[in-house]
Amino acid sequence: MNYPFYFDAGLGAMIAQAAIAALAGFVLFYKTVIAVIKGWLGMRKEKKNGSFDSSYEKDPENN
Amino acid sequence: MLRHPSSYRDPSGFMYKENGLYYRRINPVFFKEYNQAKSEGIYQKLFDKGWLIPHKEISSSDDKIIIQPEQLGFITYPYEWSFTQYKHAAQLTLRIQIFLLENDFSLKDASAFNIAFHKGKAIFIDTLSIEKYKENTPWRALKQFNEHFFGPLLLAQKHGGSFLKTLQYSINGIDLKEVKRQLNFTARFNPIIYSHIHLLSKFQDKNQDETDENKEIHLSKASQIKMLKALEQHIDAMTSVENTEWSSYYNEINYQETSFQIKKELIKEWCRDVNAAKVIDLGGNDGTFAKELLPQTDQIIVSDIDQPAIDQCYLNMLRSKEQKIIPMVCDLMQPSPSIGFHNSERDSFTSRVINFKPDVSMALALIHHITLTGNVPFEMSAAYFAQLSKYLIIEFPDRTDSWVTYILDSKREARHLFDGYNSSAFAKAYQKEFKLIKSEKIQGTERTLFLFERHER
Repeated sequence: MNYPFYFDAGLGAMIAQAAIAALAGFVLFYKTVIAVIKGWLGMRKEKKNGSFDSSYEKDPENN
Repeated sequence: MLRHPSSYRDPSGFMYKENGLYYRRINPVFFKEYNQAKSEGIYQKLFDKGWLIPHKEISSSDDKIIIQPEQLGFITYPYEWSFTQYKHAAQLTLRIQIFLLENDFSLKDASAFNIAFHKGKAIFIDTLSIEKYKENTPWRALKQFNEHFFGPLLLAQKHGGSFLKTLQYSINGIDLKEVKRQLNFTARFNPIIYSHIHLLSKFQDKNQDETDENKEIHLSKASQIKMLKALEQHIDAMTSVENTEWSSYYNEINYQETSFQIKKELIKEWCRDVNAAKVIDLGGNDGTFAKELLPQTDQIIVSDIDQPAIDQCYLNMLRSKEQKIIPMVCDLMQPSPSIGFHNSERDSFTSRVINFKPDVSMALALIHHITLTGNVPFEMSAAYFAQLSKYLIIEFPDRTDSWVTYILDSKREARHLFDGYNSSAFAKAYQKEFKLIKSEKIQGTERTLFLFERHER
């Protein structure tokens, strides 16, 4: 970053990110635990057709 | 060198057009960043993933570097995307930022206008947004990301697809306080929504005076990645009720399968006759007819007023890995205007279509809506279509068609105002702008298909 920034990033938004990240850590941990439990119960989540990842898969031009 | 009217915010460089092609000029202030990203293979890795528009370096001197990005056939703006398109554009921005962080780079902004749909999928087009990551700094584009992406998506999920048009009237994104106001009270109990909307909106007015100027704001890279991953997972799981409950329009149409097939065959044949390489299907619904033309055309824009239908078109494309269709939400009675500074940052729908130079415009099962629901006289719709392309394939449902009868009945005592709605009046009005090449009644229906060629100008 060697030039002045050209839009207001929001100082508050920068400060708030520590709290947001902490909450996100909690959410990710909770989701991981749920996913493990669902895995034990055999409730595996099917990969959705038309999902974000599927749109970049097997792209002949990019492989 | 004609600078693109929207390319003025970032001092790192700008887009310009020369001899019909787009180029990007990089200013000396950004040379170091650009060369670092290039030498560390960041651009190449993103090209390989299909996430960043590929470019090649054309020239390099002390005062400028010129790169030429792969050219987009047609650009659609965020306010013309369906729910899933919008979601995927948001996810792409976050995935790129996570990838960059893992490689010690970062996105300096997160505008929704940095994304385009190209060859069937979302692609990042603002190459100069990529800069070197400064250790332990928060993501300064987070607020902008929420204003451009997360806010409109949340409101569209809660209140409907019209909120996907937010950037049309608010080009710099929606104020997070406004998003907060329009969400349910219970939304705050979701930690992702609370933190990215409620908390951020509370903090957004905090200014430099209230803090120690010398105090550095720290956020570890690992924490930032966690924050972005949780946000991306939330967006990935978002659904829209109006989209999931959408049922195919073609289940409700008023003609038989054989007539449907006849119509498809006629369209294919007529497009072949006029060597149509580029087509726009106005009111194209979920792309059913556009799909028929795929083997014989290069690019097809499918536009429709119905956001869930366009969403279906996009999802179908993703499933079939189709690259030629460009789906977009557009209400022909109020197509996207030109917006931004000097009304020239983002071009209008009509102007973009004219520049796209389609060989054929298709208006199937559309004219009765424009004429009877929209009250647009035949002369005016003919003049509009004549601007767009040389050839026009248009379907005219007669007064005896059940849909037309239904619309006319709904006019009640004003029904007589539409006495002029008939095939001969239509053909006569259209022949002021076009030459009639052929017309054919679709067997088993009360509809006629016309092929017109625009008069030489």
